[in-house]
Amino acid sequence: MTPTPAPTTTPPPVLALDRLTRRYGTLTAVDDVSLRLPAGARHAVIGPNGAGKTTLLNLIAGTDRPDHGTIALDGADITRKPTAKRSRLGIARSFQQPSVIAELSVLDNVVLAGWPHHPQRRGAWRRPSRHRLLKESAGRHLETVGLADLAQRPAATLSHGQRRMLDLAAALAGDPRLLLLDEPAAGLTDGDIGRLLGIIGALPSSVAVVLVEHHVEVVAELATSVTVLAAGKVLVDGPTQEVLAHPEVREAYHGTAPSTGPDDARAEAVPTACPFPTDARG
Amino acid sequence: MELLDAHLVPAVDGVAFGLLLFVVAAGLSLAFGTAGVLNLSHGTLYAIGAYTGAELSDGTWGGLALGLAAGTAAACVAGAGLSAATAPLARRGHLAQALLTFGLALIGGDLLIQFFGADELPVRVPEVLDSSVTLLGHRYPAYRLCFIVMAVLLAAFGTWVLTRTRMGAAVRAAADDPQMLAATGHSPRAVHTGVLAAAGALAGAAGVLGAPIIGPGPGTSENVLMLSLVVVVLGGLRSLWATFAAAVAVGEVQTLGVSVAPELAPYLLFAAMAAVLVLRSRFAEPAGAGHGSAASGPDPVARLRGRLAGLKRSSVWRDRLPRRNRAPAWLARLPGRAAWWRAAPLLVLLGVLIALPALLDAYSISLAGSALALGLLAVSVTVLTGYAGLPTLGQTAPFAVGAYATANLADAGWTMGPVQIVLSALAAAVFAAVVGPAVIRARGTTVLMITLAIGELTGAVVNQLKSVTGGADGLVGFPATQALWGGEGMLEESELYNYVLVVAVVAVALTLLVLRSPAGKLLTGTRGAEARMRASGHPVGRYLLVAHICAGALAGVGGSLMVTVQQYLSPADVGFEIAAFALLAVVIGGTTSVIGALLGAGLIVATRDWVAGSWPGHGPLLLGVLFVATVYVLPRGLAGLRGGGSGGGGQGGPPSDPTGSPGAPGAPGTSDTPRAEDQPPSAPAPTPAGKASP
Amino acid sequence: MLELTGLTAGYHGGTVLHGLDLSVPAGTVHAVVGHNGAGKTTLVHTVAGLMRPSAGTVRLDGRDVTGQPAHRTARAGIGLVPQGRRVFAGLTVDEHLRLSYRPPRRGDTTRPSVWTPARVLELLPRLGERRGNRGADLSGGEQQMLALARALLGSPRVLLLDEPTEGLAPVLVRQIDALVTTLAAEGIAVLLVSPSPAQAVACARTLTVLTSGRMTLRLAGDDARADATELHAALELTATGA
Repeated sequence: MTPTPAPTTTPPPVLALDRLTRRYGTLTAVDDVSLRLPAGARHAVIGPNGAGKTTLLNLIAGTDRPDHGTIALDGADITRKPTAKRSRLGIARSFQQPSVIAELSVLDNVVLAGWPHHPQRRGAWRRPSRHRLLKESAGRHLETVGLADLAQRPAATLSHGQRRMLDLAAALAGDPRLLLLDEPAAGLTDGDIGRLLGIIGALPSSVAVVLVEHHVEVVAELATSVTVLAAGKVLVDGPTQEVLAHPEVREAYHGTAPSTGPDDARAEAVPTACPFPTDARG
Repeated sequence: MELLDAHLVPAVDGVAFGLLLFVVAAGLSLAFGTAGVLNLSHGTLYAIGAYTGAELSDGTWGGLALGLAAGTAAACVAGAGLSAATAPLARRGHLAQALLTFGLALIGGDLLIQFFGADELPVRVPEVLDSSVTLLGHRYPAYRLCFIVMAVLLAAFGTWVLTRTRMGAAVRAAADDPQMLAATGHSPRAVHTGVLAAAGALAGAAGVLGAPIIGPGPGTSENVLMLSLVVVVLGGLRSLWATFAAAVAVGEVQTLGVSVAPELAPYLLFAAMAAVLVLRSRFAEPAGAGHGSAASGPDPVARLRGRLAGLKRSSVWRDRLPRRNRAPAWLARLPGRAAWWRAAPLLVLLGVLIALPALLDAYSISLAGSALALGLLAVSVTVLTGYAGLPTLGQTAPFAVGAYATANLADAGWTMGPVQIVLSALAAAVFAAVVGPAVIRARGTTVLMITLAIGELTGAVVNQLKSVTGGADGLVGFPATQALWGGEGMLEESELYNYVLVVAVVAVALTLLVLRSPAGKLLTGTRGAEARMRASGHPVGRYLLVAHICAGALAGVGGSLMVTVQQYLSPADVGFEIAAFALLAVVIGGTTSVIGALLGAGLIVATRDWVAGSWPGHGPLLLGVLFVATVYVLPRGLAGLRGGGSGGGGQGGPPSDPTGSPGAPGAPGTSDTPRAEDQPPSAPAPTPAGKASP
Repeated sequence: MLELTGLTAGYHGGTVLHGLDLSVPAGTVHAVVGHNGAGKTTLVHTVAGLMRPSAGTVRLDGRDVTGQPAHRTARAGIGLVPQGRRVFAGLTVDEHLRLSYRPPRRGDTTRPSVWTPARVLELLPRLGERRGNRGADLSGGEQQMLALARALLGSPRVLLLDEPTEGLAPVLVRQIDALVTTLAAEGIAVLLVSPSPAQAVACARTLTVLTSGRMTLRLAGDDARADATELHAALELTATGA
């Protein structure tokens, strides 16, 4: 279950999930999932829709609680800790539907996100000098994601892609040890995806990243290890290239489409998949 | 056995009462669950049926049948009219609906009294039924037994329609996923209209048949509305059987409860409601938090929050203004031109308020003083509703605590104004701190119901705790407040008014300073994107609790001023009507505008007591017209007036921008699309299997 | 025959779909392929009347149905199988069938074929075994069948399928592919939207690749079947971008 070989000095892993299970009624969304991530890991979770990827992320972030199993951050059990506490311990996340405060300015969104993590946070709500420090560091995060020009715009006026970037800036403002990204590339333009790859690639190596993503290419670019979930269970996990080449992964995740070598598998897949004449009227 | 024997009659009464409530509440529940209409005029629909039935009853079967037909038809038509009236509000959330339906209820109530008189109408049931039968050795009115049979038939028929017919399937499908219902070729709008008409018919039929049990009179609508709200809340919105069980339980509490434990009866109902709601919101907490940005969530509560967020607009254009002085934000802000423009309405209002005593007669000045006190109450509601996202009907509770604290302090000889204010605020804050945990976990309409229960429970305490509150008679004859240490007690209206004005200005100024400091943004963030705030490490619960306590203290100050200016205090001053007015004042003001709330409160007091002075007895009608007109004419409330004036309201506003003026793009059938539109295309729709509850 | 011209739509004032032209002749399958967020669901929702386009037209057998509310487009003959199935959780299979059954008006002979509950159950026998079960209690595959049945019972001229194989086991995927082809053979115009090219290649007469709301490639199904390189290149490009 360890996708990356354990370091020889064996410090506790940044994140350790042990037999995590979450049920909704009769549906088991996450089923007995274990995972250990060392500091600086770049780990992707992939799988078809409904496989339990977002639920897993929610369990780690604390917005949802497991029925069984434990979650440990840097060796300390956080299974019962509320979301806000986990954030202050160093878990930051982005949301599948970018979560922005529409009424506030872009800058204020990031100020609020960085607030509980800033060394000068005490009394920042009434001390203008401290609040200015918060704004300055928020401005830096906006530059990172390329929204600095829009800092004073109300967040409500942002496009979908810009909202996603703002959500990312808010996550980065949490100064995380562990960054959870829920489909960060969904709905982005090519240019934005390029920028996203740059931002995540440039994260310090002390930050561990868990990435839920549909774009296999983004996964291949960013992740060094991958877990494939299907119906809540771990189907395969291991180094990225091995996992993506795994035949079962191709079958479950793509139907029949391979991610890297398009030609061979497709040629044989097509005729069996479509037994009927495709042009019935013609 | 003896116990059973003694309580048999009230127990059977409870069944009859419960069935009556079931028929009424089922309509309310349907309208809310399926058509998304929070119908505060549902009690009026019952009253329409009851009055019609009573008027046509002549002691014959024909009279009963005619009454049943006419009453049902009248209420059915009223329900369909309600559907038409609420259609333009489809995108504007439940608070706008509450304002509209409450206004319609006031108008309807007034018209009914015009038409049928202010006295309770006697009902003449057919002679066969107007006798007693023997039930296990007790005499029992035959009509009630007959009513039980008819109510069971009515309930069974309704259940059959809902669960066994194609029409019923369409109704349930509309509650589940109106878009997909539309995709199968059924118009959700038509279903909504049908549901509201059917809900009206049910209420009307219940009114005709139930008139001998809850007779038609001035208090009928409110009584029936309250009880059916409790039933709907207790039963939840999911199943008819739960509603049924809740209705019978409420019926038994109201009859058997009164006969078994008379001293507890006033509390039982709302205590049960509060307990159920608090437990439910606690139980659902982790999932609720997982909803993320609730704006696009599937449940009505989350939708309300989303729409509430949409109701807020002025700050959007405010932020779009060029940044002035960036630095010393909160205390020593050098007023730039924009700040003056922003403060202009406040300054104009202040000028007018200062000049008032010179312009008005003594009675009007005293009214203005009450309006200021109520204004503070409304401002506290704004803090909770507009900033913290907790729409409340319970701020009359800390208001009452402050008011009774001041009255008792004065009685004990503590007449110094500042002492009264501070101690009242403190008492109210402590109260708010105690009940806060029950409020802050819930969201949306659930908060409305929990706070309603808190307000009603406080009202019950006020009525019971005679040694402190004087019970229903109220308190009067306590020494007048001294404005300053050692000064004389204030007796003149203008003196009192000036005292109230000074305190109110200080309180409002403090509130504005805090709300416009970054602390206000913490609240805005919590309301706008709670999941993001939690995920960023903000102790959201703590913020909301602090907001609740501060709002409580503010309401307490309002209560204290109310006592000072009125020189007497009765339970009606802290009752449901005041709570509703405070919330509606806030909605009229534009939900997030402090000055709007003050103006809204002023408008309501002026309408109810001042304008109505020249047309006695029609205060409710005028208020109703005010509410209804506001909903349609000022979709963004009073605060929208300024936004429109600057021309900044339009471009690039939030998608949920409540511009839903009548006849706007929300064409029939597409009224529910914005929810889906808010989801980016990549968002997978929730798999129905995930909705399956254990 | 479904014809879209210059269809433009979006949310939040932002445009997701940019001037798309597309036509689906009766009896054929037109597949739209693109990554998440490319605008596929926006396309489907706009055609189905769940969203209003900001520009462009939707024509059904020459009749303009642009911007009509969803229940009218449904009655005009557009059937929707939405992403995520969205069956009614509290309604039984039987109730779904009864609620959705809308025989064409008398004299309306333009429908490719008329579907009755009996005929739908013949096509999807599994549903017949679960008639008393509620939507929420069905498996993913059964829900997909039910969503399809719901759309068919309006006897549609056009069928919109939004990611019909999402989250289904490979065996079911092939079954759905076969169904799609069968339905096209009935004379229905099928607009199939899918993130993976496999299904599109398997069934479609024409393929359109959608990237950030714009058409980036259109090719004939036969060409794609003969050589999928071009298709894959178009999709690869959209992922890694720049």
